[in-house]
Formats: sequence, structure tokens, C-alpha cells
Amino acid sequence: MLGKVFVLFKRDLKVGLRDFISLYIIVFPVLFALVINIFIPGINETTVNLALLEGENLEQAAYLDNFADVELFDSEEAMEERLRKRDNIIGILPGESGYVLATQGNEPESVVEYAKALVTYHAFGVTVQDTRGEIVDFGRTMPPLKRMLVAWAVLFASVLGGMLIAISIVEEKVDNTISAVNVTPLSRGGFILGKSLIGILVPVAGTVLLLGATGFAGVNLGQVILLLLTLSLISVLIGFIQGINNDDIMNAAASIKILFLPLFASVAAVEVMGERWQFLFYWIPFYWVYKGIREVLADSASWGDVLLYAGIVAVIGGVVYAVLAPRIRKGLE
Amino acid sequence: MISVRNLYHSYSNDDKYAVKDVSFEVKEGEVFGFLGPSGAGKSTTQNILTGLLQLQKGEVAVAGYNIKKIDNRMFNEIGMSFEESNLYGKMTAKENLDFYRKLFDVETRDSMDLIRIVGLQGKENIRTKEFSKGMKHRLTFARSMINNPRIWFLDEPTTGLDPAIASEIKDIIREENKKGVTVFLTTHNMYIADELCDRVAFIVDGEIRLIDSPKSLKLAYGDKLVDVEYIKDGKVLKETFSTVMEEDKQRLIRVIGSHDIQTMHTKEATLEEIFIKVTGRGLV
Ligand SMILES: Nc1ncnc2c1ncn2[C@@H]1O[C@H](COP(=O)(O)OP(=O)(O)O)[C@@H](O)[C@H]1O
Ligand SMILES: [Mg+2]
Repeated sequence: MLGKVFVLFKRDLKVGLRDFISLYIIVFPVLFALVINIFIPGINETTVNLALLEGENLEQAAYLDNFADVELFDSEEAMEERLRKRDNIIGILPGESGYVLATQGNEPESVVEYAKALVTYHAFGVTVQDTRGEIVDFGRTMPPLKRMLVAWAVLFASVLGGMLIAISIVEEKVDNTISAVNVTPLSRGGFILGKSLIGILVPVAGTVLLLGATGFAGVNLGQVILLLLTLSLISVLIGFIQGINNDDIMNAAASIKILFLPLFASVAAVEVMGERWQFLFYWIPFYWVYKGIREVLADSASWGDVLLYAGIVAVIGGVVYAVLAPRIRKGLE
Repeated sequence: MISVRNLYHSYSNDDKYAVKDVSFEVKEGEVFGFLGPSGAGKSTTQNILTGLLQLQKGEVAVAGYNIKKIDNRMFNEIGMSFEESNLYGKMTAKENLDFYRKLFDVETRDSMDLIRIVGLQGKENIRTKEFSKGMKHRLTFARSMINNPRIWFLDEPTTGLDPAIASEIKDIIREENKKGVTVFLTTHNMYIADELCDRVAFIVDGEIRLIDSPKSLKLAYGDKLVDVEYIKDGKVLKETFSTVMEEDKQRLIRVIGSHDIQTMHTKEATLEEIFIKVTGRGLV
């Protein structure tokens, strides 16, 4: 039975790679990772890098090394050459009154501000003991845009997985091949499971590649995948029902778009809405998954949190299942 | 091999029956034909027998399995060729068969062998959406024997095929039947029924009117038909009368008594003529 379930998956994948829309969906996470890498500096590079002149101020260099990656150069020329490289590095040079910050010009403001703050703290003699959580937090901040986009892309990949299912169900309906499969020993449940796999495994593989390619390889992959899988239960159900309700691939793919609104709303809620409005989004599974993945990417999620979020999504998924499963069974007869 | 008792089916779940009180038995190794005009309920019956339609009322057993609650293992023992071909358009002929083979638990036939048997060699690597209607139909037919079925359900296996190919399909069916395969065949083509079937059921409006072998039907009706050409109101009319059916005998007497007869021949009845005589309906 399990073997046959994979036979269905392999067929779906093979045919999916022959269809322009499906192919695009399958490679989406990798494309998206490329885009992120081109337009947003890498995660590792955004640890703030500072360039200092060797031997100029040993005590300052030691101080700054607590908060940033300090590189030392023996001449201003060598430092300038380094500053011209693509990543974010800020040179600190002695000036007439205090210090001069030298930048290439394209560094994010936050990084420049951070460097400024560090130099100022040093000038005022603020020690590590004096520093509050604030400054340390500031130091660890990844570019929020990147984390946001990657977390969003994981959610999006899950929805696209549902779209793959919808497309393949529409094809089975148009070719009328379900009846041919129905006169083989493969059970109805086996068929549904087999057709689900492409909507689960493709987003999982895509997410792993996405995280690897965008510098998040070190995050807790198990937590991300758990969150993704609970969300995918819902995406898969929606994919089936849209496949059953549509007779045209374009319509089926387009009808999945109804999920984009709650998806974007959830991202917006987590990112910009105040604490007291959050409850308005509690019913949306994307909200919890986004929140969870965002925390995992920031290395600040505990298993307790992740299990809580995944549990909430699983409960919502259970409700969706109860509503849609009978219609799906009926629709595949 | 197949036993059907008091089978009813209504698509609207009321008393508008597409199949009404149908009962019959198919013996092992037999070719059993369901002969009737389109809309008679042939496909409906076959779809119930193969589990594609839920059994509503009646008792059905296929290969020893009760259809009320289908055991999926039954599908290892039956094959089904569909009236409308149903293939994956984005897969080649060979890929379609290779995929289908893997869904069975029993030994299956080689895809290329089957492609050759139905004359599609050279076309195996073409996606089936490029196929003509006839080619699709042949591949669907070939697919139905992939698991070496003991019972083979064929829904209109030759309809829409050109005569040469239809004749090849007929030979394949005969060939498989010789190996012991039981065949349940629906058709509205009386030549196919005549040539292939050990027994036929005449079905009209969801009801079986008669079950017999073509041979004994011809014994009962053959040589006992008379073609008569006679003149009525200045026009030449042609009519066929049975010399065994009481109603026809009386009419024949009246025609001879009151009109000028031009020609009168006895002849062997075709299955179609017998069908018309028995059911009062044509086969289209
Ligand atoms: N899916 C369906 N829904 C409703 N009525 C149907 C359906 N399929 C067939 N019928 C009706 O049932 C009757 C028998 O059809 P069918 O079994 O396909 O006949 P045959 O195969 O002998 O041509 C016809 O009146 C047909 O219109
Ligand atoms: Mg039919």
C-alpha cells in the first residue's frame, strides 16, 4: 500500500515537471532564495563588521570586539579596499574631534547607527556590565526584512503545495483517470494519501533548500518542518477541494488565491500590528505558523512555543478536515 | 463467476430506474454479452459490477466477492475497459501502462507486449493527448488486461473503431477467452455479439427481455422469417414477418388475403432482427 502511495507521488512529480505552472511552483522556493540573496545581504554578513587600524587604539578594539566582528588593518588603504567589498563593514578612523565612521554608502541604516552607538558608548566609558539587554539585542538583530521574507516564503510554499494538488486533481478529472485507478487494488484512502504527498513533500524539500540557501541552515529544522506540516494539512485539504470544484487548471490555481489574503494579513499582523489587536488573527492558521517560524529563524523559539503554535494549527486543521473530508471523498467517486 | 440478482439502480435515488430488476449469471470461461440500444442501462450495470457505482439494491457477486462491501483484492482479478478512453494525456503510452502496472499486487504483463498486441508499436513514447480517438481506445483496452484478469469487463470495446481494428480487437478477445478468461461484454453492435458471445442478454429500458445463446435464438427465429413485398395504395411496401409469433402470423395472413404480393422469401434472421422482433426496438 505504501509503495503504491509513492507510485502516485512519483507520477504526480514527473507530470508536474512537464507542466509550466507546476514546474514553476516546484522550483519557487529556490528561485525565491536566489532573489533574497541577490537583493538582501546575507545573514552572516549582517553581524556588524568593524574595520579598525591596527595598533591605533588597542583598548577600543578590545571593547568593540565584544559587540561586533572587528577586523584590523595596517593602513588606511588596506582598510578602504576592504570597505569597498559588498558586505556591510564600517571603518572607524581617528578624526580631528573623536572618530570618523567610514562606510561604502549602501550599508543599512541600522548597522551604521549601531556602529555609531558603539563608538559613543565607548567614548562615554559604558562597560559591558553597564549595557542592558537593549544593546545586546540590537547587536543580534538580523535584517528583519530577510527573516520576514523567508518565513513568508515557507508559508507560501505550503499554499503552493495545495495548488499542485488542485492542478493534478483537475487533470485526473479532465482525463477521467480516477475511474481507472478505482478499478485497481489501491484503496480510496491510499489514493487520497498518494495525491496528498506532492503537496507535502515538495514544500518540505523547498523549505529545506530555501533555509539552506538563505543562510538559515543552522536553525532548528525540526521545528520549522513541524510547523510547516501542520499548515500543510490545511493547504492539502484546500487543494483537494479546489481541484474537485474546478474543471480547468488555471481556475483551480487561481482559486487557491483566496488563501493569500489571510496569509498576508497574518504577516502584517505579526510584523506591524499592536499587541492588543493580535487576538483578531488567532483564528488564522497562517498567523501561528508565521509567528512560530519567525521565532525559529531568530533562534528564539522554544519547543514549548512551537508545540503550542503547531497544536493550535492542528486543531484549526481538524475543523477544516471535518468540514471538507466528506466532500472530498464524495468528489473523488 | 458473476451472479446478479434483482439489481436496481437509480441515479436520482428515486423510482426512476436506469436498471430494473436485472438478474443473470455468468459462468466461468463464458463470453456473456449485454446487447441493447444506447441508454438501455448496460454501462450502469457494468459499473455496479466493477464497483465504480455504489450498489443500491440487489445481490451481486463477482469472482466470489460480494459487491455490497468491496474487498480491494477483487481488483487483482478483474479488468475493465472503459467505453470512453481514460488515459493520462501528459504521459506517453508506455508510461501510462508502466504506472498502472504498479498499482496491482499480482503479476502484470509487459507494457511493450501489450502495446504491440493492440498495434501501437512505434507510438509508445508519444504522449497520449496526441493520440487519435481510436488509438486511445486501443490503449485503454490494452490496459484492461495488464493484470491478467480472470474476469474481463469490456464496455463497447469496438465502438467507434474502424472495421479492421475492430476485427483485431475481436480476435484478441477470442484469444484471451480461449485461455480461460471470462468475458462480460456490453455492446450495441450485434455482429460482435453474434460472433463472440456464448450467450447474450437483450436489455431495453433497464430491463432484461431475454437471455439465450445466439445459436438457439437463430434456431428459434431463423428460417422462420419471411420478407414480403406487396402493393398497397399503388405503393410497394416491404415487411418482415415471423412465422412463429402469433401476431405476425395473423398479419401475414391478412396481407396475403388483401394485397397483391410481389415477392416472398424466407430467410435466416440476424441477431438484430431477432432483437427487434423480441423487444420491438432497434439497436441504435
Ligand atoms: N451519471 C449519470 N447520471 C444520471 N443518469 C445517468 C448517468 N449515467 C447514465 N444515466 C442514464 O441512465 C440510463 C442508462 O445509461 P447507460 O447505462 O449509460 O446506458 P448504456 O450503457 O446502455 O448506453 C440512461 O437513461 C442514461 O441517461
Ligand atoms: Mg454504455
